Amino acid sequence: MSSTPGRKLNLYALTWRLPIIFWQFIFFVGPVLFMVAMSFFLVKNYRMTEAFEFVNWSKMLSRGYFWDSYWYTVLIASISTICAMCIAFPAAFALAFRASETTRRWAIFLLIIPFFTSYLVRTFSWFVILSESGVINGMLGYIGLGPYTMLNTNFGTLVGYMTLTLPLVVILQTVTMANIDKNLIEAARNLGCSAFRTIWQVIIPLSKTGLIIAAIFCFILSFGDFVAPFYLGGSQEPTLPILILDTTKSGQQWPRAAVVAIMMMLTLFAIAFTGIALAYRKGKGAK
Amino acid sequence: MSKPLVVFDKVQKHFGNFVAVQELDFEIREGEFLAIMGPSGCGKTTTLRMLAGLEAPTHGEIRLNDRVMNDVAPHERDTPLVWQSLALFPFLTARENVEFGLKMRGVGKAERKERAIKWLDKMGILEFENRDISTLSGGQKQRVALARSLVMEPQILLLDEPLSALDAHLVIRMQAVLTDLQRELGITFVYVTHSQSEAFAMADRVIIMGKGEIAQIGSPKDIYRGPANQFVAEFVGRNNILSGKVASLTEDTARIATSSGDFTVPTNEVRLIEGHTASFVISADLVHISLSDPDDGNKAQCKLISEEFVGSMVTLFLEDAQGHEFKVQMQERELSKFDLKSGAEIWLSWDTASAHVLNET
Repeated sequence: MSSTPGRKLNLYALTWRLPIIFWQFIFFVGPVLFMVAMSFFLVKNYRMTEAFEFVNWSKMLSRGYFWDSYWYTVLIASISTICAMCIAFPAAFALAFRASETTRRWAIFLLIIPFFTSYLVRTFSWFVILSESGVINGMLGYIGLGPYTMLNTNFGTLVGYMTLTLPLVVILQTVTMANIDKNLIEAARNLGCSAFRTIWQVIIPLSKTGLIIAAIFCFILSFGDFVAPFYLGGSQEPTLPILILDTTKSGQQWPRAAVVAIMMMLTLFAIAFTGIALAYRKGKGAK
Repeated sequence: MSKPLVVFDKVQKHFGNFVAVQELDFEIREGEFLAIMGPSGCGKTTTLRMLAGLEAPTHGEIRLNDRVMNDVAPHERDTPLVWQSLALFPFLTARENVEFGLKMRGVGKAERKERAIKWLDKMGILEFENRDISTLSGGQKQRVALARSLVMEPQILLLDEPLSALDAHLVIRMQAVLTDLQRELGITFVYVTHSQSEAFAMADRVIIMGKGEIAQIGSPKDIYRGPANQFVAEFVGRNNILSGKVASLTEDTARIATSSGDFTVPTNEVRLIEGHTASFVISADLVHISLSDPDDGNKAQCKLISEEFVGSMVTLFLEDAQGHEFKVQMQERELSKFDLKSGAEIWLSWDTASAHVLNET
């Protein structure tokens, strides 16, 4: 029994793995490679022709409107992440530490329900609530306030982002904090740490990995979302997903849209990579 | 010894309908090593947690230095606890763990470091000060946990089965470390355990708890030689418990008729009534064995069922004709003189003074 089983080519396991490998190649790696290739194509007379020119890259990356859109998207996705993390934290904290096991299970189940319905439908329902003659302005009208413009603003965009990300962020934060060893919190209290202070001193350090992963998810979803900035934000300042749509529509510029898409992917790779590296960084102590 | 540091005054703890602690009335003296011992679920950990403020008593009062502690938040008390799981912070190094409590108390950085280093050094683990907790061994973690509590220089240290996760040889070493520390520092230790050997080896006084109540308080020797009732007798040590009717009484002895025979026992202060049932214990290590009938005194004829070796000590398990189990504990070198086989017929005997009558509860 000297041969290590892991080293041997296991035909049985390989056979079962093949479909997923095949699927990933056809529908993920393939299209991405094609998109990269496409970013070097040219468009002549509204027709895409195969080529290998850097003109799309140099044109896009030297345009002010691309970088405006890029930094705006990074900024609003960051704000969305901060908002979602802050809004979700008290809820997740209560579910993890105050609620009973049963309540927590029900809450997580209820938080999954939003994913049953289409995000687009949920976004449209905000029209009824946020519009100038909508529910909120109607109620504010009774006490002599408003009407406030909430649709087609950054606020609208953020409301949309929250609709998309909050349930997921609450779930991830709850699960992370529910797994904390309660003895550690009591130990901190026992050593003179007030209940409020344990949040910074113990709970956040202990749930760091889960919190960072929740934030990464939130950023990725917001950064790539088209629906919220388009329908609720009014696309006055286009985010990158809107820029992609505009670019494909104007003069069939698929290659330039591909440049934007690749830039987005690289950004998300960088964010996810640094985030995960941070999340799993060991303590500062020597090994 | 000296004035009470802590007073439990009719303390009860209920969790919903479950009564964890029935009614506790006891004192903890300043500078003593007190062990609270009992089977799991007896309320010993709850008692300790109430003292640390991690649970609030449902009824009654806990006073520390004459101050009622019921409504004092845990972080405002000076009652550091050493957890069974140690509860060291995994995101901090060994030294940062020790510094944690000082940091919470607002002690400056330089002083914090100095005091942490002093205690790590005292515990013999200074070389690991910058190590991650996960890279330390069980014994080293144990010392970090102790240093983390002792660096606070408390009046009282609470320990909740801190040695239960250690290997047997480490337990013995840590017991010595703990008793030395307690004597040197002169602070009060309250040590919760289910292990009789730990409690008896270290404590000045032991509280035996059962079903949320105190069954007996006393020195290890008092409890070992004079269990107050059947619960303590069964829980503590290798005791032979015999029950029967009181056949006759003299001024300071009684004759008790059991199914295994009639025995004479000293009554001590226990009030016995002729014709009523009574129980007494005889420690396994106070029973003598012989191959022939010892003629007079307290004796029982038994058959050897099995033996158990623990180092140089042997415990014999025997049964008399009525099926009552007897235990005898003796030195291995003494036993080897008899050359016993399983099933051998042996006579057990003991001095009348060795028997101890139990209070009926």
